[in-house]
Amino acid sequence: MRHTTKLVALAATVALVVAGCAKKEEPGGAAASDELCADKSGAGPKIGLAYDIGGRGDKSFNDLAAAGVKKALDDLDATCEEAEAAQEEPDSAKEERLRTLAEAGFNPIIGVGFVYTEEVVKVAKEYPDVKFAVVDGFGEGPNVTNLVFSVEQGSFLVGVAAGLKTKTKKVGFIGGVRGPIIDPFAAGYKAGVAAVDPAITVDMKWLSDKGDAKAFANPAGGKTAATALYDAGSDVVFHASGLSGGGLFDVAATKPDGTWAIGVDADQYQTATPEQQKRILTSSLKKVDVAVFDYVKAFKDGTTKAGFDLYDIKRDGVGYSTSGGHLDDVSSKIDEYKAKLVSGELTAPSKL
Amino acid sequence: MGKLDLRRIGLALAAPVLAIVVALVITCLILLAAGSSVSGFLSTIFSAPAERNVINILNNASILYLSGLAAAIGFRMNLFNIGVEGQYQVAVFTAAVFAAQGWLPGPVNVVVSIVLAMVVGAVWASIAGVLKVTRGVSEVISTIMLNAIAGSLTAYLLRKVGVSTGSNLATEEIPQDSWVPGIPLLPGAPNELLGLALLAVLAGIGYAVLLNRLKFGFNLRATGTSASAAVASGIDVRRMVVVSLMISGSIAGLIGLPLLFGSSHSYGTTFQAGIGFAGIAVALLGRNNPVGIAFGALLFSYLAEQSNLLEINARVSPDIVAISQGVIVLAVVIAYEVVRRYRNALEQRQVAAQLSSSAPAEATSEATR
Amino acid sequence: MTQTMAVRLRGIGKSFPGVVANHDVDIDVRAGTVHALVGENGAGKSTLMKILYGVQKPDDGTIEISGEQVVLHSPADAIKQGVGMVFQHFMLADNLTVLENVVLGAEKLYGIGDRARAKITELSDAYGFGLSPDDRVEDLGVGQRQRIEILKVLYRGAKIIILDEPTAVLVPQEVDALFGNLRELKAEGYTLLFISHKLDEVLAVADDVTVMRRGTTVASVQPKDVTARQLAELMVGSELPSPSTEESTVTEDVQLAVENVTLAGPGDRNLLDDVSLHIHRGEVLGIAGVEGNGQTELVELVMGIRPTTSGRVRLGDEDITDWSTAERRNAGIGYIPEDRHRHGLLLDFPLWENRILGHQDRSPSVRGPWINKTGARKDSARIVEQFDVRTPSIETTARALSGGNQQKFIVGREMSGDPVLLIASHPTRGVDVGAQAAIWDHIREARRRGLAVLLISADLDELIGLSDQIQVILRGRLVGEFDPDTVTPEQLGSAMTGAGEEE
Repeated sequence: MRHTTKLVALAATVALVVAGCAKKEEPGGAAASDELCADKSGAGPKIGLAYDIGGRGDKSFNDLAAAGVKKALDDLDATCEEAEAAQEEPDSAKEERLRTLAEAGFNPIIGVGFVYTEEVVKVAKEYPDVKFAVVDGFGEGPNVTNLVFSVEQGSFLVGVAAGLKTKTKKVGFIGGVRGPIIDPFAAGYKAGVAAVDPAITVDMKWLSDKGDAKAFANPAGGKTAATALYDAGSDVVFHASGLSGGGLFDVAATKPDGTWAIGVDADQYQTATPEQQKRILTSSLKKVDVAVFDYVKAFKDGTTKAGFDLYDIKRDGVGYSTSGGHLDDVSSKIDEYKAKLVSGELTAPSKL
Repeated sequence: MGKLDLRRIGLALAAPVLAIVVALVITCLILLAAGSSVSGFLSTIFSAPAERNVINILNNASILYLSGLAAAIGFRMNLFNIGVEGQYQVAVFTAAVFAAQGWLPGPVNVVVSIVLAMVVGAVWASIAGVLKVTRGVSEVISTIMLNAIAGSLTAYLLRKVGVSTGSNLATEEIPQDSWVPGIPLLPGAPNELLGLALLAVLAGIGYAVLLNRLKFGFNLRATGTSASAAVASGIDVRRMVVVSLMISGSIAGLIGLPLLFGSSHSYGTTFQAGIGFAGIAVALLGRNNPVGIAFGALLFSYLAEQSNLLEINARVSPDIVAISQGVIVLAVVIAYEVVRRYRNALEQRQVAAQLSSSAPAEATSEATR
Repeated sequence: MTQTMAVRLRGIGKSFPGVVANHDVDIDVRAGTVHALVGENGAGKSTLMKILYGVQKPDDGTIEISGEQVVLHSPADAIKQGVGMVFQHFMLADNLTVLENVVLGAEKLYGIGDRARAKITELSDAYGFGLSPDDRVEDLGVGQRQRIEILKVLYRGAKIIILDEPTAVLVPQEVDALFGNLRELKAEGYTLLFISHKLDEVLAVADDVTVMRRGTTVASVQPKDVTARQLAELMVGSELPSPSTEESTVTEDVQLAVENVTLAGPGDRNLLDDVSLHIHRGEVLGIAGVEGNGQTELVELVMGIRPTTSGRVRLGDEDITDWSTAERRNAGIGYIPEDRHRHGLLLDFPLWENRILGHQDRSPSVRGPWINKTGARKDSARIVEQFDVRTPSIETTARALSGGNQQKFIVGREMSGDPVLLIASHPTRGVDVGAQAAIWDHIREARRRGLAVLLISADLDELIGLSDQIQVILRGRLVGEFDPDTVTPEQLGSAMTGAGEEE
């Protein structure tokens, strides 16, 4: 008994320490306390930023929110403070994070990620004078703004790109997890491909059943899924799986010309290696940076609105990237589809 | 004896206190090495929690406590039920789906759901027990695998029965008349103690009675310390393995219920995960003792709550607290071992002292007997 | 006494926290003699020998070896001084050869090849050990293994050899062979220091005897001047009862009947093969045998710990073949297990909780599904009182007690609740003389009241002294029945080793 107890203690300790250190090992995983909010001299809005697990360093969603804040610091003379969620924390910890920011005088406060929705609604009632925003949120309250995106429209356009580029008449999709978060990416993409040629098949791979690390921080899983898709004949693969997408780019970089990968949220061409850049066709953009900056600006101007603030294709809140010039030959066609989406002639579905 | 008991209590307290101090020192060294503010860390961790934080600490501690008890039952039996995590996920999911149907009125719905969660947790845990006694599969391996299966199974079923709210996917909400109201423990706090946190108290009492008063508990402890002696005494060890894992699983089934009936009212993708693993550390910290586990749960809950402020007030990553918690567990186990040896030596000395003082008189009686 | 002293100890004292293991120990060991050190378990013999072998450092006193005062920091120091030790528990690697076991750790002396092989053969031949360097240890018997241990010590150049209870594991014939070896060694000028509590053997082989009691030396005698009984009384410090059988109390009623029981083993051989025996009320049936011949299996089978492959077991009128251990215990079978630490006690539990073990379904330790703490405590106190268990309190953990006191507690517990059958496996092994006598008395008294006893023991005197009937077990079969009133240890020994039996 005693020996096994010691073993389990050791295992538990290792697990806790690894949990504590895990995020430090992620590429570019900057501790949240460094540079971004170091300068406290600005006279503009004091922005409180609450991230979900992982925080900055995801080269995607959270980094985009930080980029929006950075722009606000530069252009609006704002200051900021960031805090991120711990592994497997209780909901009360998220509430507490928001309260602590509110108590410390931050206003506005932005919850990055839908997981903050309920907590923001709750805390917003306690601090009626503070303005809250939730990226991807769905909460209600007089001082709560949900910054939401029509990601299916951006995905529709990269789907069109994929449909135009595929030679094998077969394209792939890697999703982090089935469900309301990723389904719109998949649905829009599928519709976009079908709009070009209904005969093109779309193979789908899902990394996890849960919205956990296996879904969104699993480059190895991304690699396996990508290899499987390419081997099965897809020559274009789009991912909506956070950091797991790194695995897709690694695999794509080893493939011959005419094989493509498509990024998500940010323009992932910008953060890729030169070998990967040769294969990154485009990215489905979700302009969280723009939304965050716009929100802070509206706050400064006193024009924030409660409820949903939708960033769609009309507002250029979603879209597709053209870095690398791989789409030069088809960009006019894609833009035709884009115009149809803007006019409402075409609609992108958000449900699979 | 009285004097000795006092010393024993002192010894029992010395170990965890020493361990916590050692863990703090090590944490501070890590902070220094990382170039972070030690004073900021200490002042934040030791700042008096506000009333609302006290409530949070109690709420989370009650949940951790249930998890710790579930793990401790297994440990007492020398079984490592790593599967508390999966057991509570499956149980709370089932309870959430059942309670949401509203087939039964208000409180009856709650009670039946609690029983259902316990049964589901027990059944899930019994799989590992049956595998162990019939096929010799280590419960460590099987419960880890069952955790993975439980996670995927609940996620899969959630997609089948869940409803989307914004980006969240959750089971249908439990009817309002089955919500368990909170207890306004501290009038100044905006939040309340979860109503079903009381389950933790009941489970703790049940655990203490089971282990120390019931024949079954004696058999369990006996099997845990010496399976060979248990067999010789007539205990059916195979049956004990299955039954104790089922009890462990039934307590695990309670873990998610205070949150389900008191705050979230549904089981969704954001339902708190990881409590099962934290419970293992808490049980070790509390040395499988019902009062000790309570202290362990409160300590971990306190540290977690205070760590929330670290990033904002002291610009230290809250992950440092996970390291502290790990070091505390390790230090505590070492300290307990040291104290245990000291206590054994103390007792042997006492026996020797007693015998040598009465030796001359007893030598004769021994010989004539 | 003009002869040189191989070992001279003066005023040796050694304390462990709270325990004085040795004090004022004076011993003179003449060179070229066999010197016996006798005493009860816990008298301090082992500690003293560990001091002489450099395992422990004395707090007081001086050690002289061959006239020179030495300080021994480690066994290596002791070996340098020519002192070697043969432990009671062999430290041999079973799957290595004799050669490999001997050279292990002493590679520098004669290498590991032909020189070592030659040296081993030379030593073995010189003292009639009959060992071949390339035999595998796992193929050898207990006596041969012991000779390897002695050879190891000789190989390392020891002139003074300590033997810790060397006869404990041997049957009488092997003991004779060992004594032959010892005499040869003595003739070659070796000094042998021999620890034992088997007094007949001591008197047979020793030139001098030193008696220890409660940590100190109390007498130094010559074998020709004392009888075994006087020696025992010196050890205990008072007069001693003798383990003699009394008038028979055997009745007509069969209490335990084992009928044609077979227990299949992992290989082709059956662990128990067609074993049948009957024990009547008031009868003690002794099982003699070299360890590992099926005694453990027989006991576990009767206790329901192992299932029978074929055959029946009856307790009184009931067929209990398919009963669980708990049912058998509840039907009144008491069980004193062979290994008290592994099977008889919960070492870290207080005594009163150990009272409950094996009695989980019976008063006074339980009441329905509840543990009856008061009842268990009260009855523990009774056992402590009646069986003279030396403990400060019933709250003391079992681990803190000496082996003899642990055993007395177990005996007391297993005699509780009026058992009808007692399975006693080595009931006095590792127990001091006083406790041994007490345990014998208790068994005899219960027998008078009609208890049936199945007694397994390696101590032939115990078997002969207590039993009404002795059966010899060999390779899982009962091979001979003896009347304890007429049988000699030598006859038993022959039967136990299968001598005279046709292979």
